[in-house]
Amino acid sequence: MPTLNLPLTETPSLLGEFTESLLEESRKGEHALLQAKRTAAYESYEQIPNPTRFHEEYRRMDPELFEISSFHPLVIPETPVDYTPEPEDASYDVVISVSPEGIAIEDRNDVLVDGTLVVMPLDQAAREHTTLLEKSLGAAMVPGEQRKFLDVNGAFWNVGFFIYAQKGVDLKGGILIRYHNDKADSVLLPRLVVVAESLTRFAIAEQFTSPDDVKTLCISGRELLLDAAADVKLVSLQDWGNEGRHIGEDWARVKRDAKVNLFSMTVGGKVSKMTVGCDVCEPNANAYLGGMFFADREQHFDQKTLQYHSSPDTYSNMLYKGAVKDKGYSVYQGIIRALKNCVGVDSYQTNNNLVLDPTARADSLPGLIIDADELACSHGATFGNIDQEQLYYLRSRGIPEGEARRMLVMGFFDEVIDRIPFENMQDHLHAVIERKFG
Amino acid sequence: MPDFETDSNLVQEYKYGFFTDIESDTIPKGLSEEVIAIISAKKNEPVWMLEWRLKAFKRWKKMKSPTWAYIEYPEIDFQDIHYYSAPKEAVDSMKEMDPELLKTFERLGIPMGERDALSGVAMDVVFDSVSVGTTHKEMLEDLGIIFCSISEAIQEHPELVQQYLGTVVPPGDNFYAALNSAVFTDGSFCYIPKGVACPVELSTYFRINAADTGQFERTLIICDDHATCSYLEGCTAPARDTNQLHAAVVEIVALDNAEVKYSTVQNWYAGDEEGKGGIYNFVTKRGHCRGHKSKISWTQVEVGAAITWKYPSCVLEGDHSVGEFYSVAFTNNKMQADTGTKMIHVGKNTSSTIISKGISAGESSNNYRGLVQVMKGAENARNHSICDSLLIGRDCSANTFPYIESEDDSAHLAHEATTSTISEDQLFYLKSRGLSEEDAASMVVKGFCKDVFKKLPLEFSVEAIKLLEIKLEGSIG
Repeated sequence: MPTLNLPLTETPSLLGEFTESLLEESRKGEHALLQAKRTAAYESYEQIPNPTRFHEEYRRMDPELFEISSFHPLVIPETPVDYTPEPEDASYDVVISVSPEGIAIEDRNDVLVDGTLVVMPLDQAAREHTTLLEKSLGAAMVPGEQRKFLDVNGAFWNVGFFIYAQKGVDLKGGILIRYHNDKADSVLLPRLVVVAESLTRFAIAEQFTSPDDVKTLCISGRELLLDAAADVKLVSLQDWGNEGRHIGEDWARVKRDAKVNLFSMTVGGKVSKMTVGCDVCEPNANAYLGGMFFADREQHFDQKTLQYHSSPDTYSNMLYKGAVKDKGYSVYQGIIRALKNCVGVDSYQTNNNLVLDPTARADSLPGLIIDADELACSHGATFGNIDQEQLYYLRSRGIPEGEARRMLVMGFFDEVIDRIPFENMQDHLHAVIERKFG
Repeated sequence: MPDFETDSNLVQEYKYGFFTDIESDTIPKGLSEEVIAIISAKKNEPVWMLEWRLKAFKRWKKMKSPTWAYIEYPEIDFQDIHYYSAPKEAVDSMKEMDPELLKTFERLGIPMGERDALSGVAMDVVFDSVSVGTTHKEMLEDLGIIFCSISEAIQEHPELVQQYLGTVVPPGDNFYAALNSAVFTDGSFCYIPKGVACPVELSTYFRINAADTGQFERTLIICDDHATCSYLEGCTAPARDTNQLHAAVVEIVALDNAEVKYSTVQNWYAGDEEGKGGIYNFVTKRGHCRGHKSKISWTQVEVGAAITWKYPSCVLEGDHSVGEFYSVAFTNNKMQADTGTKMIHVGKNTSSTIISKGISAGESSNNYRGLVQVMKGAENARNHSICDSLLIGRDCSANTFPYIESEDDSAHLAHEATTSTISEDQLFYLKSRGLSEEDAASMVVKGFCKDVFKKLPLEFSVEAIKLLEIKLEGSIG
């Protein structure tokens, strides 16, 4: 472990400019509800000690690597900017674009007109949907977990959206949120709150990009609340430039008969630590967590998942596929947790890793914490290089070795990529894999 | 099933929970440099050994008890333990043994007398802090095999002890290893010379008898080039209301083409149904495959101890070396177990297999924790791990924490784990064949553990199955 020689000290500088004065700054002119929520998050944030690499969760991902104190919070102007369409937008109903210049929300197919679907910035939601937002903001957290960076986001978020689907909304195209940060040394703190009433069905895509050689940091927080029989998919694609850093927290709470799909695809950036958790909290709730990470050059990616079963007869499935190339380093940590008396739980966790170069490294720490019987929980993890026999087969068909390797890696990832509900995202990921082999 | 219940209450009592009233030589409670000097003096140890102990003690004083394991227990007062207790009458040979002691071992079913000279097991017996006798010595001596207590080895083979002691588990390795290095009292020493295949099972039997004592066992096994041996240890203790500490260190060295098989049937007193009393079993066991094509195989059946905390490990340094770990851990009532293994692949073309079966019943907690590490340059490392947990009852818990670290692209590692309960289908099928529910469940459990039991030497395999049956009774249905 390259970080093992650091001294065992708490570093007060870790969180840089995230202080009370910034809190005051963020609260200025806001709705009282948001002010209260920020203060509460700040109080909780202050009580949690700074993570160091001596915490089990950060043992393989030193928080110092994010160099948080060298960044300044981004101020995003409130006035909306003009929407510039991109070719990929065609398949979406709503497109939100966020950049340091401002925010644009485009309702391409008039799905927001009748008000059954709401997509708006958080401060507008605080005025128009006060009670609902009060109930929802910060409500998807899995109990008993202290998440410092989620609280950082909760107290200091600088761009936030509220997506609310009333009973029965069935969205064909989906919602795309595009974040692009090209301002050097700035922190983007996006917040997303999704509330799905019963019998709704929709998908959300989030895409994070930045230009190469521009040092940026992102601390994101997303939460999803699914009522009975809702079906929500969330895909997040981290494709930062080579100096991007990302700490992300996604949490979902899933009620009776509902189903959530959470995809986290990390391919770009310098370092990232993504956490995806779901609480399947009523019988017959179902969660699928899918993810991929592909670390090349000197990228260092850390993925954490939590499948939390707080009710009997709940289901979850997880598939994370990772590849490491050059000096890439990936860490996967996963937990399946079944609480006492949660019988009839069926849960699975798979992590497959491709180690493509001798200088690359992959760690996997799957885990089961089970306090009930009459259930079935299992996990599997594999490590290996490309199968020599498959490679030989392809080469015997006249495919050059480099091409054959690329095809096999593509096939390896397609098990996850194929499940993503957006074709343009799939194309994007395929292009990234090509790029990494280029 | 009223019949069964009355029955099970009888069987379930811990059979080895008696206490032998013999005069013993026990030093006052407490731990200090003086106490270590007393222990060393009692054993008539050379100066280098005392210095080694004191160095370890110095390190231990700076260390903190680890807290990362998934177990809970009140803080141990290390000053409230007798660090040395021995039967008063010095025993020179088996025949002169205290009849009371002999009777104890007969009750335990340990072959010690002459009549057992033909049985295929050579035995060393450790009673509290000292070894009280070793059988089959002459036959082993003829082959050049050294099998004696570690105290004896320090006297008679100091060069071997000095060469190997602490090279696999260094004194400062961890909190309990450091404590053990400072105060260890007895244990076994085995040396199998070049090219010798040990014809009998070597076995050590550990018994804690005196109250408020800690047992600090130290075992060192060395298999020279082309040598093989199979070693087995068993353990029991009287049923007491207070907790007792057993902090052992076991070191195994396998040189070129050597093969060591180490089996444990651990049946320390586990405390009563309320979780009162029982042994804290905090153990460091590690094998070092130093030589080319060497092999170390760990088999453990853990059915006792209030808290078990141990990770028999293999460091696979020699090219083509092999490490194996087979484990059945059973917990009942309020027992807690955090056990597993570490396989560290250093050499080229090394392979390791892990099969771990955890069964938890009652209100117990049973954890598997394992590490498979492939170091840089450990080309073509192979590992296959299977960790299965079986839950019986609603109040127990089973957790699995495997750690897999791969730093080489030629490694092939696979890990799978499952947690489940005995399925209704299996029970129904067996019951439809006329088996009672108890027998059916017991059969499923035995089948669950079969992969591990078949790795044990035959006699012990039978013993282990019986032990598990006894422990299971009353936990099903």
